[in-house]
Amino acid sequence: MSHPLEITNLVKRFGGLVATNDLSFHVEQGQSVGLIGPNGAGKTTVFAQIMGEHRQTSGTIKLYGKDIGNKTTPERIRLGVSRTYQVPRPFSDMTVLENIRVGQMSSSIWKMITTRPNHEREEEIAHSVGFAEADLHKTPGELSMGDLRKLEMARTIATGTSVMLLDEVFAGLTVAEIAQIATLIQKMRSDGMTFLIVSHDLKALEPLVDSLVAINYGSKIAEGSFAEVMGNASVRESYLGVV
Amino acid sequence: MTGIRWYHLALWIAFVAIMFVMPQLVSKGTLRIIIMANFLAIFAISWDVLSGRTGYISFGHPFLIGIGAYTSAILTKRFDVPLEVAMPIAVLMTMIGGIIVFLPALRIKGSYFALVTLAFMELIYQLVQVIRPDLTGGTRGMSGIKTITRGAVSNYYLSASLLIAIAFSMWLLMKTQLGIALSAIGMNEESVRGSGLSTTKLKLFAFLTSAFVAGIGGAFYVHYLGSIAPRALFDINFLFTIIVAALIGGASTIIGPIIGAFFLTFLLEFLRPYLPGAERYFIYGMVALLLYMYQPKGLIALMHTGWNKLTGAR
Repeated sequence: MSHPLEITNLVKRFGGLVATNDLSFHVEQGQSVGLIGPNGAGKTTVFAQIMGEHRQTSGTIKLYGKDIGNKTTPERIRLGVSRTYQVPRPFSDMTVLENIRVGQMSSSIWKMITTRPNHEREEEIAHSVGFAEADLHKTPGELSMGDLRKLEMARTIATGTSVMLLDEVFAGLTVAEIAQIATLIQKMRSDGMTFLIVSHDLKALEPLVDSLVAINYGSKIAEGSFAEVMGNASVRESYLGVV
Repeated sequence: MTGIRWYHLALWIAFVAIMFVMPQLVSKGTLRIIIMANFLAIFAISWDVLSGRTGYISFGHPFLIGIGAYTSAILTKRFDVPLEVAMPIAVLMTMIGGIIVFLPALRIKGSYFALVTLAFMELIYQLVQVIRPDLTGGTRGMSGIKTITRGAVSNYYLSASLLIAIAFSMWLLMKTQLGIALSAIGMNEESVRGSGLSTTKLKLFAFLTSAFVAGIGGAFYVHYLGSIAPRALFDINFLFTIIVAALIGGASTIIGPIIGAFFLTFLLEFLRPYLPGAERYFIYGMVALLLYMYQPKGLIALMHTGWNKLTGAR
């Protein structure tokens, strides 16, 4: 069976800079893989290529065996891959439910006009990421950073995604919020969601991933279980600058 | 951005009722002013469906209105095409114009987009004067264009019905999920793409809808006036009156541009006896500025707060 996400020999050059250098890895069905590396290693660039925000210089990106390397971002999302951003990007004048509604909409304009929003599903998604009843009609301006992350995840879930890319989900969160988001990810894992997670917070990441891929200067430097990768000399060097 | 409520429909019925009895209440002179307000409201709605929602600020609306007006005027006057054929063709041509304005929106946004649309207006202003002046009437424009009906009262009813039909259908359309998606583009276009929606398709739809309304408005307008003058049509003052009407009424709503259009038209008429010259525009600018600074969401938001204070709701 083909993997939900498979990246082969991915290369991305920005002029003379090689941001992604012959990177290959895959994520298996229902698995959660952590993508780690020091600042500037090219983690976010990998995300941007998977989502089609940047076009790869060469290499292939496959979703469930299907090459998505030439598709537009909305097309990829409809095929089942979706991401959150390090800095949440909500629709500022809309309520939590309306934000989720945008994720849930059909891409056909005719259907947007003729179908009514599915309020039950919107509320179900909102509750599933941990929004209380009182939060549903708040606007993003009234939400905490942790809630904004939840909202990003809720809108992503609403698109019907089965492969979720999380970019620095724990950045800027309080300890309590980190615990909440971690619990949420665990719950979604047990429901069968496939994850690729970028995080600097390795302690928070450890219980959430089945394996790690470590990159530096766009190249893969290690791959394996959390303990294996953490014990790897070049990983330690890239993070700490010492052997 | 909520769904349809009973009081929405009540307000619509009240609006239609007031518009219906208006000729009994006011003089013919006032009626003629209201006709102009009706047309301004149609143009403001057209602008708002595009710019108020998606945030793609069009400075080129006179370009679209002009295509509608000129096409219908030329067809009826120069080629004796009947009105009922000329006007749909005019609307179609305006929608093609809408696609032309849409093309830069694929690549640029913000003030750059606004400037490009402004260039469209300047371009057509120059073009109608030099290309085939035998058709367009050149710098002097055209007069003696066929009118649809005669007299203040019937012209009033025609423009009012047109406004009500356009406003109500746009209101219904914007109450659907499409309205939310278009507003979402104005808030964060990247996130709309990130939600799996094609912003290209949505924007094209917004431009076509806006052009459709502008085309209808332009065609009816020229057959009401019976004349067309490029200097008055492709005029920055005309453009800003449309935009200010939408903004001080309340952008991203339907009733807002209508209120704004009536407010502006009557403000200018009210000032006319005191300040017959262009000084009126100074006062009008000040009023618009103050209102906008006090409540950027427009008169509609002010009225909402007022109503809530009256009824004691929070």
